[in-house]
Amino acid sequence: MSLETGATSGTGTSEAARPDEESDSVSTSSLADLDGTSFAYGAVGSLAFLALWQAAAMAVDRTYLLPSPVEVATAFVVELTAPTTFTVPFVGVAMPATRLTANLAQSLLHYLPGLVVGSVLGIALGVGMGWSGRLDDALTPVTRFLRPIPPLAWIVFAIVWIGIGHGGAAFIVGIGAFWINFYNAYAGVEGVETHLKEVAASLGVDDDLTMIRKVILPAATPSIATGIRTSIGQCWMIVVAAELFGAPGVGFQIINAAQNLATDVSVAYMAVISLVFLVSDGLFRRVERRVLAWRA
Amino acid sequence: MAGVSDGDAAASDSSTADDAERTNATMRGSKVVVDDVGKVYESDRQRVEALSGVRFTVNDGEFVCLVGPSGCGKTTLFRTIAGLEAPTSGEIRLDGEPVTGPGTDRGMVFQEYGLFPWRTVRENVAFGLEEQGVRGTERTDRIDEMLQLVGLTDFADAYPKELSGGMKQRVGIARALAVDPEILLADEPFGSVDAQTRDMLHQELLRIWSETEKTVLFVTHDVEEAVKLSDRVVVMAADPGRVREVVTVDLDRPRDRTEPAFGEYVDRVRRLIGE
Ligand SMILES: Nc1ncnc2c1ncn2[C@@H]1O[C@H](COP(=O)(O)OP(=O)(O)O)[C@@H](O)[C@H]1O
Ligand SMILES: [Mg+2]
Repeated sequence: MSLETGATSGTGTSEAARPDEESDSVSTSSLADLDGTSFAYGAVGSLAFLALWQAAAMAVDRTYLLPSPVEVATAFVVELTAPTTFTVPFVGVAMPATRLTANLAQSLLHYLPGLVVGSVLGIALGVGMGWSGRLDDALTPVTRFLRPIPPLAWIVFAIVWIGIGHGGAAFIVGIGAFWINFYNAYAGVEGVETHLKEVAASLGVDDDLTMIRKVILPAATPSIATGIRTSIGQCWMIVVAAELFGAPGVGFQIINAAQNLATDVSVAYMAVISLVFLVSDGLFRRVERRVLAWRA
Repeated sequence: MAGVSDGDAAASDSSTADDAERTNATMRGSKVVVDDVGKVYESDRQRVEALSGVRFTVNDGEFVCLVGPSGCGKTTLFRTIAGLEAPTSGEIRLDGEPVTGPGTDRGMVFQEYGLFPWRTVRENVAFGLEEQGVRGTERTDRIDEMLQLVGLTDFADAYPKELSGGMKQRVGIARALAVDPEILLADEPFGSVDAQTRDMLHQELLRIWSETEKTVLFVTHDVEEAVKLSDRVVVMAADPGRVREVVTVDLDRPRDRTEPAFGEYVDRVRRLIGE
């Protein structure tokens, strides 16, 4: 039935000929999802918000209590352009940077490794426990007990094992990514239709590895992708929390600036986190839509 | 799971008559022998005798339908023959060999299609061939041949979500036939398509059956469908699931629903079911 939709609802450009890429609006937390009509409303709402904020800031008239949007934008530009150097850890090479890009790079240095390693391990355990009833039985008490502990509480071990630096922060980010991905992968594997496994068996699949590779993993991919996307967002929250303890980066700047009563700079770095999230989430959605084009 | 080995003991208690029948059946070229099959589902709260003393044969190249009211054990029997479940007693034999699990000698088609949604039509049909190690042009040719057989050449690169119910089921049939099984097993395959599409699919299935000379075992609760399609109709009854009678449909094909003889068969099967 949707074969026709694909052919007829295009509005001229070849891009528009794939309606499901355009109209897939399951959730709309990303800037990339704004289309033409809602854009106008979005612009009105945003301007009203900025105007209200500006008016309130002018009424308060103390930058450290409530910086105005103009002051925040100014601080943002200053941070974005103020030259500094960024020393790449381990390698020790100093690179020219600006304050903002240097802080962002610092955050990424624990965000990315934590996200990648935590996600991979979480997916692996989730698939393993979702597939093997025995492994599930053996480890469920442990996972049930450990799951409610907030990632930040593990800062204890980050401190005594690694210290609060990139390593410690990555450790905490990794724990956050681990649980999110573990549960999504587990649910994805558990939810694979029995029919699909039976069809595969009748078509000659007779070992676990082939079944996992050719049926379980592809069928669980949407759920696994949701886990990755959720952790892309959640891990930024954890990054900020971890940096409150002293790891360098954007989150540290938010606190640091606030302690100097440079609230405009704090808010500028808050905006940085939001922008980075929107960009990475938008990019991931793009990839997801392409890879999971088969989804109904 | 007592299953297959216990089956012999259960089957042999009625001794020589059985043995004679068994030999006889094999000599007639029986493809499938359902030999005194029983299946009991037991849980803490209840015990369901889904099948009891089920016994019939399907000959090589024959089209046999299983009909009966809902809950009479059709799906259970389908799954036992497919090797997805072991009988509690008795056994199923294919070409004289007891069934112990699923295999590529039996292609399966389900009401819910069971297509791999992440694979295109072509890739769905390719699945079994990949497992058999068929590669390159041999694989491509085989897929093309199957798509042609079910009339889906133009939709080779579509994903299942883009297909209608009837088209999905044709993919299911093409995928099952690609690995050249000896038997096609179908459990209410046309149960979720509209009547008009179903008529078309009946014609196609009969054409495919005569072109490929497969043995077909087709489960349905639709009596007209059974009379339309099959050489023989195995009529089942419920509580416990058992064979009431096997009706041979002695009508030329193509069959016309409006013919009196057709109606007589339908009435007869309906009476057996108790509708
Ligand atoms: N996995 C199962 N566990 C317990 N009872 C089952 C199971 N599968 C089927 N049954 C029971 O066995 C009987 C036959 O079911 P089924 O084979 O699905 O019948 P049909 O396909 O003819 O409608 C029903 O009473 C059903 O409730
Ligand atoms: Mg059924």
